[in-house]
Amino acid sequence: MYGNAYIDPNENPVSSGKGPSILEGEDPVLLAEFEARIQRGEKIEPKDWMPREYRKQLIRMIEQHAHSEIIGALPEGTWITRAPGFKRKLALMAKVQDEVGHAQLLYSAAETLGKSREDMINDLITGKSKYSNVFNYPAYTWADACIIAWLIDAGAIINQVANAKGSYGPYCRALDRICTEESFHLKYGHDNVVTLATGTPVQRKMVQEALNRWWPPIMHFFGPSDKISSHTEILMRWKVKMASNDDMRQQFLNMYVPKIWDLGLTVPDTNLRKNEETTDPDWDEFKRVINGGGPCNAERLAVRRDAEERGRWVRNALKAGSAKYVVPLA
Amino acid sequence: MESAKELFFKMADDLLIFGHRNSEWTGLGPILEEDIAFSSMAQDKIGHAQAIYQILHEMGEADSDALAFNRPSSAFRNCQFVELPNGEYDFSMVRHFLFDHADQQRFEMLATSAFEPIAKVARKIKGEIKYHVFHADTWLVKLSQANEESKARMQSALNEAWNYALGIFEEGDFESDLRSKGIFEGEAALKARWMDKISPIIEKAGLRIPDESTWNPVLGGRKGYHSDHLDPLVLEMGEVFRLDPGAEW
Amino acid sequence: MIQSLDPRVTRAQIELNNPIDPLTELDQWETYEVFHQKKRGDQHIHVGIVHAANPEMALLFAKEQYARRGVSVNIWVVKTAQVYSSDYADSDIFETVPEKVYREAGGYKVMEKINKYKKAQAVK
Repeated sequence: MYGNAYIDPNENPVSSGKGPSILEGEDPVLLAEFEARIQRGEKIEPKDWMPREYRKQLIRMIEQHAHSEIIGALPEGTWITRAPGFKRKLALMAKVQDEVGHAQLLYSAAETLGKSREDMINDLITGKSKYSNVFNYPAYTWADACIIAWLIDAGAIINQVANAKGSYGPYCRALDRICTEESFHLKYGHDNVVTLATGTPVQRKMVQEALNRWWPPIMHFFGPSDKISSHTEILMRWKVKMASNDDMRQQFLNMYVPKIWDLGLTVPDTNLRKNEETTDPDWDEFKRVINGGGPCNAERLAVRRDAEERGRWVRNALKAGSAKYVVPLA
Repeated sequence: MESAKELFFKMADDLLIFGHRNSEWTGLGPILEEDIAFSSMAQDKIGHAQAIYQILHEMGEADSDALAFNRPSSAFRNCQFVELPNGEYDFSMVRHFLFDHADQQRFEMLATSAFEPIAKVARKIKGEIKYHVFHADTWLVKLSQANEESKARMQSALNEAWNYALGIFEEGDFESDLRSKGIFEGEAALKARWMDKISPIIEKAGLRIPDESTWNPVLGGRKGYHSDHLDPLVLEMGEVFRLDPGAEW
Repeated sequence: MIQSLDPRVTRAQIELNNPIDPLTELDQWETYEVFHQKKRGDQHIHVGIVHAANPEMALLFAKEQYARRGVSVNIWVVKTAQVYSSDYADSDIFETVPEKVYREAGGYKVMEKINKYKKAQAVK
């Protein structure tokens, strides 16, 4: 579901300073060939020469996306044993399963850049790597799971459709497959929210409250306004970053706020109601949560560690003595 | 058709509770790929349960959602085996193996049932169950042959599961009626087929079926007597549904 | 112990600060390349990889990861380590000169000769 291509606000600005420093030491001929290939609209494949910064940013981005999928299985998974009725029960299982599947596809894409899945999982469970902030919020009721399925997935699609046009072949291929599945998620989520919003007063109240809770994290979902730096410019030229965070946020608002209003639901941002302009999201809150201070950060990682630990004997037992790790081809 | 209803209730309840338990692994499995495969099978089981509740509905019972999400645990006729908590992956895998072989044999027997609706379901889901058994056999054999720890874990899971597994074949009140009507050959016949199927695989895996002198089937589930684990499961499963059973969810 | 909104998590009795040793090399096993055939008569097409401990499990995993939706009739799995591939840096080896019309169907144009011949025959 959940791509989120923001540059981590905590990231050490080693590589976000002056443009030329990022490219320092790169072979100018190879670099020119690389950029010309992207300019022609061709994809970069795993064994191609690529600038260090390109590899680094792609690993960071794809890995973060993969972590978001596997952690993203948890807030919705909160309701997997309680989904009401066969249709919802089966669909939620299938949806959470898809998120796990997306993690698998994305880790595979990141692996082609030379970071093993073990290393990525280690960086996740020790808190070294980030994942989408939005999954550090709790799903208090069934309706929260429905709002996530509709609106977070809607946001993810905007992001992923943009990224699928990027320059790195394996990431694009993974995203194409993912986007197909996301269209099921979006329909499923919308159907759920419509059912609640057009249902009994209890259901309506439930879904409005969930929407109120999830609105601020949804506004944070696309990340803070991009700093216009030469670094961002290079990433856009290399088709690593495909759309600005503000543009994606605006696209989301244009597409989904009318659909929310259609259902007679309100969004908690009163400016949006009156002036059709959004209030700037609270970025201090965003930074606090991404640094571990959100309501569920600690739980999410503890659960992941527990799952890895409980599965370890299984993985260890089946590890073949003859096995040899080779970076996947594509 | 009380006899057929009894059969269908226990089958549907088995599949629902088993699928529900297995679904608890979703997102928490030992490795991503297996997480996906295990979730698919859990979905299949719940889908099969729904198909059988639908037959019951057509026989005059409540609709499938009401049967699954709004009955007290005492009304459930599943064997106690499926309601036990998942434990670790060893127990989940051994249960998967033992239950799914029984499931496959049961549906194979029902594929030629005189009761056409269940025969139709049996034929339709044959391929899905074949994969489940394929998956279970592979895992059971590989884990049992892997290292000392995994072998010991699988053997003790088998020991722990065995008497519960025998409880799958607890007889109902209508065994001879079902047989004479050509609906179902009966639990005894099923159990014999099951033993024939699982024994060579268990042997191939290098595990031992517990000594016959210790066999003591855990019965009661088919009559509505359950372990302490079922009631919380049923309450949890229906928690949202029962907020308003009349509402559309 | 975590008291979670997710009853599964609460039941698992997880400590919030549960230490863990890092996953070691090959913890996630090897990778297999997956080839998928939609229907009889089609080519098998490469669709991605799975991590698996052995070929049998790779097949079980590939089926659910790459064929749980839509139609399929067959799957192959091949250890990544056993695939020998060309190098993108050498992709110019495929840039064969265009003069090789002698091995293209389009390199053979006989109608002109036939027409000329027919015309000549007609004159006779």
